Amino acid sequence: MSDDVVIRVEGLSKRYGLPLAAALRRGWRRLAGRPADDGPWALRDVNLEVRRGETLGIIGRNGAGKSTLLKVLAGVTPPTRGRVELRGRIFPMIELNAGVHPELTGRENARLLAAVMGLRRRETEAKLPDIEEFCELGEWFDKPVRMYSSGMLARLGFGVAINVDSEIILVDEVFAVGDLQFQNKCLARLKESWEAGKTILFVSHSLDALQYLTRRGIVLEHGCLLEDGSPMDMLNRYEHLVFRNVRRDSSRKRARREISTGEVTVKQARVFDRNGETRSELDRCEPFGIEVEIEVARALARPLITLAIVNTAGVNCTWSLSEEDGFMPPSFSGAETVRLWFEEGVPLANGFYEVNFALRSAANYETLTRSSGLVGFQMVGPGRARGVVVPRHRWEHEGRA
Amino acid sequence: MSSATYIRPTDFRTEALRFLGLLRALVARELKSRYRRSVLGPAWAILQPLFYMLIFTFIRSVLNISSEGVPYVIFTYSALVPWTFFANAVTRCGLSVNSNAGLLKKIATQREVFPVASVLTTLVDMLIASVILVGMMIWFRVPVTGALLWLPALVVLVWGIALGCGLGVAAVGTYKRDVVFAMPFLMQFWMLATPIMYPLGRVPGHLRPFYCLNPMVGIIEGFRNVLVNGTPPDPGLLLLSLGGVVVIWLVAWPVFRYMSQYFADAL
Repeated sequence: MSDDVVIRVEGLSKRYGLPLAAALRRGWRRLAGRPADDGPWALRDVNLEVRRGETLGIIGRNGAGKSTLLKVLAGVTPPTRGRVELRGRIFPMIELNAGVHPELTGRENARLLAAVMGLRRRETEAKLPDIEEFCELGEWFDKPVRMYSSGMLARLGFGVAINVDSEIILVDEVFAVGDLQFQNKCLARLKESWEAGKTILFVSHSLDALQYLTRRGIVLEHGCLLEDGSPMDMLNRYEHLVFRNVRRDSSRKRARREISTGEVTVKQARVFDRNGETRSELDRCEPFGIEVEIEVARALARPLITLAIVNTAGVNCTWSLSEEDGFMPPSFSGAETVRLWFEEGVPLANGFYEVNFALRSAANYETLTRSSGLVGFQMVGPGRARGVVVPRHRWEHEGRA
Repeated sequence: MSSATYIRPTDFRTEALRFLGLLRALVARELKSRYRRSVLGPAWAILQPLFYMLIFTFIRSVLNISSEGVPYVIFTYSALVPWTFFANAVTRCGLSVNSNAGLLKKIATQREVFPVASVLTTLVDMLIASVILVGMMIWFRVPVTGALLWLPALVVLVWGIALGCGLGVAAVGTYKRDVVFAMPFLMQFWMLATPIMYPLGRVPGHLRPFYCLNPMVGIIEGFRNVLVNGTPPDPGLLLLSLGGVVVIWLVAWPVFRYMSQYFADAL
């Protein structure tokens, strides 16, 4: 192993569970004449080399094997096949609050966490003021942890973790809790460690954090390593992956989630263009409309209609309420068709969108039906799929000689 | 089976220090937290053997059990203190891995640390319960003899058997919860099969060889001899117990070593 390499992974595969139990089960199934089934592989033939001082971002969808990889590296769970070789002290920044006891105070728990993370008692006592300061818990530091909010608990764990000295740091999505200011503080501390020559492996779904912290990235999918390259390569590949999967989902029949009183049925819904053609793909800024056909069982006075466009992250990108827009039909009865027209289009970022629909009565504000995923469409355009909107824009530059 | 290798720099001293540091922190956590929201606090450690003593005293008056010339209260209590330690320690070991699931999934330390911490904290309970025992010995004017020097050895022995059984229960119980569910019943059964309520002398002669295979017999009898009768433990019984402890360790520890590697997968 060359001097520079601190982590070497060769042909690593991992399947959870006791190998002995799996072998017994396999034997039993063979006797019973059924095909062997040992459960899924969490990691499949992963090869990886990380050098000293590198920062490696790891990204992948849920269940892709990111956490498993970190756990195997940390030595928490043994590999099923392959070879893992480490140089230097490794410190997993995962499950930072593991072991915390709710009845103990923040200070007592900090001591416990420090021991868990491998600090000596003397070191702990020396670092306790630092930890206290970093956590910014004030008087709460001496109160039982059961009174803490989840954000406060996260600060406690991170405050101890950041004070542990180690050559290789594994970070698994620890900033999900805590407010923005604290998240930034954590990122800044991690960046300091990296500048001090530490090796950092960083799992996150936050593309911004990954871009900020890493100089190299890998993408995992179904336990396989798909991409190993620059952070930009990693992010592109990941977006592509998520995008492709969403598209595949959309081609199947979408499961419509609906809550309804039964008096209103949504017959059909579609997205159409200026020629009235049904469309599933739209160009950015192209005018389009959404059409919903409903069947109303009994006459409905003063209907209120809501139509919203939601992106894959669940963010409402547009939200239109008929009454607010001055569209107030006196009543609905029998078959009705409602159209919402976007004259100038909507400058949404590339990606897949769904339409949510709700019908209420302004007479008593009773909700008659609410359905999400009524119809879907895809927005295509030049550039990448980051952000929510892509308005018309231009760059300018002014240089000072 | 295919090959799998995990290599990382380890140095025995650092690992040992980490193990001890974690052990100390776990024991401190248990002791500090256990009674923090309870009214009776550490008195709980005394209540369990004390209540058994009371009900045994009652049963004795019904069944007319002999106590071989010593006051029955101290006769049974001197056996209940080590027994309660043993039963509680094993039960807690069975739970220790599960209740520390978060830690297990995070750090790659020797997994023995959790059962060992459980046994150590239970040992503190035994010390508390012993206070009453000392009080009784003074009250009943039990003579202080050189036999008491056997006490440390007996404590080590009961500690060893508790940890041995605890390792086995923890290893299997983490995968199959049935073992943990069976513990209260199993311990009750085992207690009745050990001379705690009654003297060993009342066990019928033809059953005695089988009866004495129970390694707790020698240990409990030893405690009683040393504490109440002022005589050293019976060497034969003690050897049987020692043998039992060794056998338990030879089985339980390797099983624990193997199973514990995969604890993080099962939790």
